[in-house]
Amino acid sequence: MSDCVCGSGREFDACCGPILAGQPAPTAEALMRSRYAAYVVGNLDHLERTATPEARQAFNRLDAERVVDETTWLGLEVRRVVGGTVEDQTGQVEFVFRTRQQGKTLAQHELSEFRRDGGIWLYQGSEINPKVPPARVSKVGRNDLCACGSGKKYKKCCGA
Amino acid sequence: MANKSATEPRFACTACGKCCFGWLPLTLEEAFAQAGRFPLAMVWTPVPRSSRAFDLTAPFGTTIHLPNRQQVAVLIAPTAYLPPSFPCPALSEEGLCAIQADKPLRCRTMPFYPYRREEDQADMLVPRKGWACDVSEQAPVVYRQRRIVDRADFDGERAALLAQAPVLRAYAETLLKLYPAVMAQVLAATRSPAKGAFVTGFASFLRHGRQDDAIGFAKQQHPVLIDFEARTTGTPKWAEYGAFYRQSAADLAWFARQV
Repeated sequence: MSDCVCGSGREFDACCGPILAGQPAPTAEALMRSRYAAYVVGNLDHLERTATPEARQAFNRLDAERVVDETTWLGLEVRRVVGGTVEDQTGQVEFVFRTRQQGKTLAQHELSEFRRDGGIWLYQGSEINPKVPPARVSKVGRNDLCACGSGKKYKKCCGA
Repeated sequence: MANKSATEPRFACTACGKCCFGWLPLTLEEAFAQAGRFPLAMVWTPVPRSSRAFDLTAPFGTTIHLPNRQQVAVLIAPTAYLPPSFPCPALSEEGLCAIQADKPLRCRTMPFYPYRREEDQADMLVPRKGWACDVSEQAPVVYRQRRIVDRADFDGERAALLAQAPVLRAYAETLLKLYPAVMAQVLAATRSPAKGAFVTGFASFLRHGRQDDAIGFAKQQHPVLIDFEARTTGTPKWAEYGAFYRQSAADLAWFARQV
């Protein structure tokens, strides 16, 4: 019994293990985690099997073999998930993972896109160092309901 | 004509070997064919809008959108990346080219330079200090009214550069997307024309630009990089070269070890 290499805190056999063995991933996040785990355990077939045809074409298997051989995996942190649930057809997972390669510690920040194909989640592609959407401050109008939840107009409540 | 020699420059190569030193731009095909001979790098050279060569640079290289919304044209040249005082590894002890039959296009077109406009070649016909080019009345006229007389090599090199440009453009796009450090280098090189250029290793090209025979290439290139690292370590002047050879060799080591 051991903790899953994806860092979920669950046991490998109850987390990425079955997905790496070929079971379909229930969510986009589960697939993302299993693909990270695939690099850790060197299961490149899983990476090819769970990629869309376009992503498979962009996948450089020889270089992935090098990455598996030369990399120490220091951990994965999933930061944000959009969609990708059992109900969805598409999903996004934003994550950061850290590695050690050629004596250097590196962190990669990535936003991956997933889609369902015949019910099966597939990896579609990634944006590296994704741009953060600009923060927007929405202005509360004087006659809008106050954001404090009092039910009064803003001008009669906190904006008075 | 009052000054005919100025408008009709003469030139003949005397095989003095003096231009066979330092950086040598290659085509991709030549770089891969000569991986066992030259230490290779991709040299990125931003060309500002004010340059007379700007219009040419975009089709040979690529156009990069900078974060400040300006654009810069960048040449990306596969290059035999030698310190300026290092002779070409193909230059024999007699000072002659040892690969004459497979000589790179860049060498064949000398003294003309296809990265410039055809009408801007006059400077290239003036021998640099110490070079023994024959520009006397005995030499043939090679440039007439700003047109190259025998233009086969010049056109051939240009055609090769244009043909490979899409591959280099895709490589540049991928690197810019994946590595923010590359954009920082483009910006730094754009702002400081004195520095002018920066290099990336061929390992990144194998990884992102091209999937063919990485192992065969690495087996040839890796020992060359190790050799040049040894030849440049200990000379502070060549520290930048030494560091590049060392990093490039490390990036290719895994591929070179495969059977």
